[in-house]
Amino acid sequence: MIALVAIAFFTLPFVGLVWRAPWSKAWDVLTEESVRQALWLSITCSLWATGFALFFGVPLAWLLARVNFPGRSIVRALCTLSMVLPPVVGGVALFFSFGRRGLFGQYLDQWFDFRLPFTTWGVVVAQTFVAMPFLVLTVEAALRQLDKRYEDAARTLGGSRWYVFRRVTLPTIRPALIAGAVLAWARALGEFGATITFAGNFPGTTQTMPLATYLALESNPQEALILSLVLIAVSFAVLVGLRDRWLGGTGAPAPGGGQ
Amino acid sequence: MSVEASIGMQLGTLDLDVELSVNAGEVLAILGPNGAGKSTVLRALAGLLPIQQGQITIDGLMLDDPDRHVFIPAERRPIGVVFQDYLLFAHLSALENVAFGLRARGMAKTKARSIAEDWLHRVGLGDHADHRPRALSGGQAQRVALARALASDPRLLLLDEPLAALDVGTRSGVRRDLRRYLDSFDGMRILVTHDPVDAYALADRVAILDAGRVVQVGTISEVTAHPRSRYVADLVGTNLVVGRADNGVLVTDTGAQVVIADLGPGRTFAVIRPQAIAVSRLAPTDSSIRNVWEGVVGDIDRLGDRIRLGIDGPVALTAEITAAALESLQIRPGDTVHASVKATDIDSYLA
Repeated sequence: MIALVAIAFFTLPFVGLVWRAPWSKAWDVLTEESVRQALWLSITCSLWATGFALFFGVPLAWLLARVNFPGRSIVRALCTLSMVLPPVVGGVALFFSFGRRGLFGQYLDQWFDFRLPFTTWGVVVAQTFVAMPFLVLTVEAALRQLDKRYEDAARTLGGSRWYVFRRVTLPTIRPALIAGAVLAWARALGEFGATITFAGNFPGTTQTMPLATYLALESNPQEALILSLVLIAVSFAVLVGLRDRWLGGTGAPAPGGGQ
Repeated sequence: MSVEASIGMQLGTLDLDVELSVNAGEVLAILGPNGAGKSTVLRALAGLLPIQQGQITIDGLMLDDPDRHVFIPAERRPIGVVFQDYLLFAHLSALENVAFGLRARGMAKTKARSIAEDWLHRVGLGDHADHRPRALSGGQAQRVALARALASDPRLLLLDEPLAALDVGTRSGVRRDLRRYLDSFDGMRILVTHDPVDAYALADRVAILDAGRVVQVGTISEVTAHPRSRYVADLVGTNLVVGRADNGVLVTDTGAQVVIADLGPGRTFAVIRPQAIAVSRLAPTDSSIRNVWEGVVGDIDRLGDRIRLGIDGPVALTAEITAAALESLQIRPGDTVHASVKATDIDSYLA
C-alpha cells in the first residue's frame, strides 16, 4: 500500500505534465531556433562531461579502490563532495577558483588567454564537476568487488599491469562502467545550479535545456511544458534502453541523479 | 633443468619456511591440509607474492632473492599456473582465453589464434573454441585452463588444487584425463592439493606440508610405506592397490584379488586405510569380511601408542594396530598372520 503511494508520487507529476501539455504547439516549439540550440548544447555538453568523467574518473576510482594511501577516505570525501553539495555552491566554488579573477583561473586567463566562465567549456566543467562522482563511486564499488585472482591469472600469463587492466579489469567491470557513465550523463544533462552560476545563461553558448526550461516557465509556461517533456523522454529512453541492452540485469546499483 | 626454492615468509599466523626442489620432467605434489601454507608457496613461486627470506631459481635463473633485491614479477616468469577455480576470463571465448598469454607477450593475433587452436585440439576441445567459459563443464574448463597455461610454453607448470572445484562424480574421469595431459608436458610440474588421492594419481614425488614446514619428502611409495610422523601417517600413510576392476573384484598385476564395494570396470586403484585392517593369527571364519590375505610380518614401526606392521602377502599392506593388540598377539617379524578388510572399508577410484 505504501509502495503504491510511492509509485503514485513518482508518476502523478508526469501525468500532470502530459495532461497539460499543449500538444498542438509542440512542433512549433521544438523547431524554434533557441530550443534547438539549447537541446543541441545540452546533448553535446553532457556527452563531453561524460567523456571527461570516464577519462579522469576511472583512474581515480582505481586509485581509491586499489591503492592504500594515508588520507584515502578524506580524498574520497573531497572527490565526491560535489555529489551532495547544493549545485549552486559548487558553481560558486568553481567561479572563485577558475573564474577570470579566481585563484587559478587568473593564470588560465593571463598565460593561455583561456576563460572558462560564461563559455561552453564552462558548462562542460560545471557538468563534469557534479557528474563525475557518480561514475567514480560506481566504478570504485565494482573494482572492490572484483575477484583479484583473475588479474593474478592474467599476470601469470605474461600480461603487464596495463595490459591486464585493459584486457581483464575493464571488461569485467563493464556493466558498472556503463551504469556509472549513464548516471553521470543523466546528472550532467540535468545540471542546472552549477551551470547557471559558473557559466551563466547565454542562449547558444551556455543555455542548456534545464536553463531554457526554467526561463520559459516565467515567460511562456506552455513552452516550459514541452521542454520538460523532451528532457523526460530523453532520460527515460536512455534509462530503459541501457538497462536492458547493456546491463543485462547484472544489477548495477543506481542511485538517482538529477537536481 | 630444475627448480630450487627456499621460501621464508611470515604472513599473519602463518610462518612459512619451505625448501623444495623439482627436477626436469618431474611432478611434485605439495600435500597438506588447508592453512598449511600450500597456496602461499604456489603464489610465491608464481611471482604473485614476493618472499621475505630465501631464494627461488629456475634452471639457474634467479627469480626471487630478497637479500639482493631481485624480484622477477609474475608476468616475466617462465611459469604457467592452473588456478583452483580455473579463473577463465568470462568475457573471452575458450580460444581467446588460450591465446591470452601469447597475445600478452606480444604475439600477432592470427599466429596466437592458430597456436591456441592447436592447443584446444590437443586437449580435445577443438570444437569448443567459440564457447564462453560459462558454457563449459568443470572438466572442460580445466582443460582450457591447462591449455591456456601451457600455450606460452612455460618451464614450470603450477596446479592449485586442480580437482577441488569438481563434484565427486566427475572427479575421477577428469583426474585420469589430467594425468594424461600432464604426462604429455615434459617440463616441471608442481601440484598443490589437500587430497592424497590426487597426489597418488598425478605426482612422482610428494612433499608433505604442515603448518608452514615440509615434514617429509619422498616418492609416493616411500612416504606411504614409511610415514615419519603420526601426522604424515594419518594424511598419506595408507595402502594403495592398483589393478583392473570388474564386477566388484580388483585384480592386481601380480594376480592378487581385492574385493571392493564399488563396481566400475577399468583400471582402478583401491585405498585401504591401515586402521581398517584387522590382524589375526588364524583366518577369521564365518564373518562378513570379504578380503583375507595371509602374509609374513616385516617391519614393525612404533608411532606413539600405535604400531604399523608391514605385512608381505599377495597384496603388500601396512596395518595399524594398537600397542596392546601387538602385545596380546605376540607378533614378531617373520610371523605368519592374516590381514582382513571389509570390502566396504575400501575406497576405490578409477585410475
